[in-house]
Amino acid sequence: MSYQDEEEGGAFDGHASSFPKDFGYGAFDGEHDVNLSASGEQKPRILLMGLRRSGKSSIQKVVFHKMSPNETLFLESTNKIVKDDINNSSFVQFQIWDFPGQIDFFDSSFDSDMIFGGCGALVFVIDAQDDYMEALNKLNLTVTKAYKVNPNIKFEVFIHKVDGLGDDFKMESQRDIHQRATDDLADSGYDQIHLSFHLTSIYDHSIFEAFSKVVQKLIPQLPALENLLNILNTNSAIEKSFLFDVVSKIYIATDSTPVDMQSYELCCDMIDVVIDVSWIYGHVFSVKEEQDPAAFDEQSSSLIKLNNGTVLYLREVNKFLALVCILREDNFDHKGIIDYNFLCFREAIQQVFELRNKCQGNPLTNSAGSPIVNGNNIIGERHLSPTLTDEIGSK
Amino acid sequence: MATFHVVQEGPVNALALNRDNTQVAIGGRNVFKVYTIEEDKFREVCNLRASKHLNLSFSCNDVSWSWTDDHYLATAATNGHVCVWNLTKMGKAMQEQDYQEHKRTVNKVNFHASEPNRLISGSQDGTMRYFDIRAKNAVAIFYSNTESVRDVQFSPHNPYTFAAVSENGSVQLWDVRRPDRYQQQFAAHSGPIFACDWHPESTWLATASRDKTIKVWDLTSKLTLEYTIHTIASIGHIKWRPQRRYHIASCALVVDCSINIWDVRRPYIPFAAFNEHKDIPSGVAWKEDPHTFLSSGRDCTLYQHSFNFASRPASKANPQGVSLNNKGEVLYAHKVNVNNAIVKAAVGIIRKTSTTQSPDQFHLASSLMHQFTESPRGEQSESEIFLGLANNYVLSGRSLSEMCEHNSAVAKQYGKDQVAVVWKIIKTMYGEEYLQNSTSTNREDVVSHNNLPLNNIMGGIEHTNENDQRSRGGDTPVAQFSDETENEDQVDHIAIYSNGFPTYLNFRTGLPKGDFSFGENEIDMEFDTMITDFQSGYRNYVTPQQDFVLPNEAFHLRHEIRNRTPPPDKFPNSNFPVMNDDSQTIPLEEQPQTLLTVSCLPKMPLYDSSSIVLDALKHHAILGDVQTAACVLIVLGDQRKTLNELDESTQEHWLLGYIELLSRYQLWNIATQIIKLSWIPSVEQLNQQSTRFNTNCSKCSKALQRIGWLCDRCHSSQYALCSVCHQVVKGLYAWCQGCSHGGHLAHMRQWFAINKMCPTGCRHLCEYK
Repeated sequence: MSYQDEEEGGAFDGHASSFPKDFGYGAFDGEHDVNLSASGEQKPRILLMGLRRSGKSSIQKVVFHKMSPNETLFLESTNKIVKDDINNSSFVQFQIWDFPGQIDFFDSSFDSDMIFGGCGALVFVIDAQDDYMEALNKLNLTVTKAYKVNPNIKFEVFIHKVDGLGDDFKMESQRDIHQRATDDLADSGYDQIHLSFHLTSIYDHSIFEAFSKVVQKLIPQLPALENLLNILNTNSAIEKSFLFDVVSKIYIATDSTPVDMQSYELCCDMIDVVIDVSWIYGHVFSVKEEQDPAAFDEQSSSLIKLNNGTVLYLREVNKFLALVCILREDNFDHKGIIDYNFLCFREAIQQVFELRNKCQGNPLTNSAGSPIVNGNNIIGERHLSPTLTDEIGSK
Repeated sequence: MATFHVVQEGPVNALALNRDNTQVAIGGRNVFKVYTIEEDKFREVCNLRASKHLNLSFSCNDVSWSWTDDHYLATAATNGHVCVWNLTKMGKAMQEQDYQEHKRTVNKVNFHASEPNRLISGSQDGTMRYFDIRAKNAVAIFYSNTESVRDVQFSPHNPYTFAAVSENGSVQLWDVRRPDRYQQQFAAHSGPIFACDWHPESTWLATASRDKTIKVWDLTSKLTLEYTIHTIASIGHIKWRPQRRYHIASCALVVDCSINIWDVRRPYIPFAAFNEHKDIPSGVAWKEDPHTFLSSGRDCTLYQHSFNFASRPASKANPQGVSLNNKGEVLYAHKVNVNNAIVKAAVGIIRKTSTTQSPDQFHLASSLMHQFTESPRGEQSESEIFLGLANNYVLSGRSLSEMCEHNSAVAKQYGKDQVAVVWKIIKTMYGEEYLQNSTSTNREDVVSHNNLPLNNIMGGIEHTNENDQRSRGGDTPVAQFSDETENEDQVDHIAIYSNGFPTYLNFRTGLPKGDFSFGENEIDMEFDTMITDFQSGYRNYVTPQQDFVLPNEAFHLRHEIRNRTPPPDKFPNSNFPVMNDDSQTIPLEEQPQTLLTVSCLPKMPLYDSSSIVLDALKHHAILGDVQTAACVLIVLGDQRKTLNELDESTQEHWLLGYIELLSRYQLWNIATQIIKLSWIPSVEQLNQQSTRFNTNCSKCSKALQRIGWLCDRCHSSQYALCSVCHQVVKGLYAWCQGCSHGGHLAHMRQWFAINKMCPTGCRHLCEYK
């Protein structure tokens, strides 16, 4: 897998605050908005597969195209591979390949090397409300086929449409599917393949969370980001913070405390509010980008005080990313410190990705993550801890 | 045993007790201290963050204290470090080991219970690492292949086994000797699992998850889900209570700031709650005895709690519950005051099935659940019942008693218990034997004989109405009220009990002997009072059964009835339990004298029941059940005259209403029967009116009023001619409905015996055969 596009990187070297564009980083000053044109093969690719009518296109539309879940009823069934570039709008520069359910792998026109070769994750969708035996067979077939081509693929199984199931039945089918799928793999001698299971529904935020986890696995910088968030939380008395991809509302990273579903939903809703309000009021017509005015820019920031003494605080990190924090109102007295810490955090994130830029000597491996962790520690210690702890200590 | 606390400078994430429970270590993002626990306060022993060289390794996610060596502490840090601290050393040397192996936050660290120097850590990066604190690196690495490990716990039963729970909702059991593959894995929750805890005695593993449940798994040969506790919020920490087999403490992750102690057998309401924390608690540690524990919280405090100060949510809960389902069944559960057996006896009558709720240790076996189902006919629609009743009622031709009896049975059969009772009352009040007896001289016999069923029935009605449900009501066998029923219930409960809670069987079967063995786990200071309560309660509960033999009220009641003939609907409900065997038999045998002397005999036959009957009928009529009102009136026959307050217009109204209904249902025969049986002229004449049907002149369509063969308008009988003989037909005119030609019956018959065509020659084929 490659996250790096040499030519693109070269092209952007000339810019003042150039940034690895292949991952969709816009410049922080907002002026150099990205016209990403990286070719498809070099983007991490998520494949959406599953039997027909299992909800693949619906997932894609809801998560990446803001379609309302109810409208997905009217989606036509997909009869060819739809390559969807999540481009220009989202941090996640992914291609979602929505496969028609009835695709036949043994068809000669099916180029499995091409399809599975550059693929980061394979999401297999199983309709939990339907009989899933056929789906399990297909899953086994798909997974083994893909594994032969590319053993680095992450296999994710979405047990989908669970909104219609009762709690007990949900649990039961999850266990059953889990059991059968792993047994099938063991039987066919693919013990080493690991499947992750997610219970999802497009009618709540579970699909976003599941996608967040899928995407997180494809981000080698995740430990660094998580660590940065931990440090930010510690030093700013923040309860919980999410690093959101604004467009898709999936979180790229969060701190290590457990994710509470309500908090996550609150933060998602907050992003919606911010975007909607800024479409109305925050719209600045600039001469340069008149054709593409964005609702989310470097000035975006928002503060919502809840009546239970909690504050939601949103800050723009870069064109695609927003940091949403949940903290207690009394801790928000030190807004100056929080803002300062946030600036440090933003700088640190910048460095994380710059660092990756430097270690492009081996851009093809995932293990690029580990030097980043170490590097990050240095960043963390140097940029955040001494100053912040001092300030907090003095408060 | 007091509750006391100490405030920290920052939120506390975890706490750990040392082996002797004399010291506690707490760790948080800005806190890392060791306290000695004294009688009523915490005394700070050392602050490990005092060093100048603070780094992220000092902010702990979790703390663990070595089980074997009191000097060693291990912490898990958010930056992925696992540190081992030696408390005997000073300064920088304290940090004896710093393992930087995890790539992401370490969530949990735990010392091995028996192996010294060994500890295990579980991290966000999905791995668990097994360390020997003498070595620089991990001894073994376990790849869970799940998202992130939230908790790892060594089994207290097997030194090589540990359990790991992860964010994808699965539980893994590992053998420390086999890092390559887990022994067992199962999906336990539909959300991330945040904590697990091994039961200290049995082979249970409790897991707590974001899906707001705590599940208890039995990990013996076959994996089974033993209990599920439903909580109001995601649970972050759980810990079994020592020496209490069924108790587990839980801390919520959001919303709920109290520490709840659950009895796993009572999954919806905590056994005890501790509300001292102002923010969510982050950890619980029991001091080996079950009455004190320590807890840390996000509100920067460390508490020691004493069970004496627990609040008991169960005691504040509403002890009654009523629920309706879509089939019209009512479920009613309530707490039984064991000191008041009478209440229970009264309840017995309306009970169809009863089961005890799962007992907890506050109200042991002292709640009852009643399920009131509609009688089997209940699912019939009203119209079906109406039809059935109309068809099966006998309204004439038999004696009043027989009819009432029969109609009562019919009503009962169709699930109309109240109506059945009304019929019985009518029978009792107006039945032949009653009337005969009332004229005889042997009065006291009459009184005692007849009043009893009456008042039995009345009681039944009372109860039926009051509970607004179809109970067995008046015709409940008397035995139902007797002591035997009580005992049967008792047995019943035990049976149900033993099904649901086999472990409690001992306790329950011990009950009749008065031997309350709670099992050694349950013998407990706090329960002692409760036990004695219950024992005394039980004693009270038993003794009243003997008291029942001679309830004084029974006599009063009888006197009242005879003296003042109070309307039954004023019967105080509390008197109801006197309806038992004894009150029926004993007073009669022993007290004939009393009855003789007190009674005011002349008034008895004149007991004016009319107002009650009238009320009952009006009640039914108002409810829309005019059928009952009308039928009762009919069956009463001449007796209805005693209902002198019922004016004729109402009677007529009811009858007409019933007839109207019957004809809507096309029950013409029964309608006619009603009309025939009615006594009101206007109704009686219904069948005699408008019985005439006129034919119309086939030319001008004028009704042939005078005679059937001559039209007054056309002055012709042209259309009344016989098509065979061409004479005017003055009697029966038979005609073909196909061509409308006809004539004398005899002529037509003759004609069609030979021909098939119409005799007029219209070529209509009148006869098909």
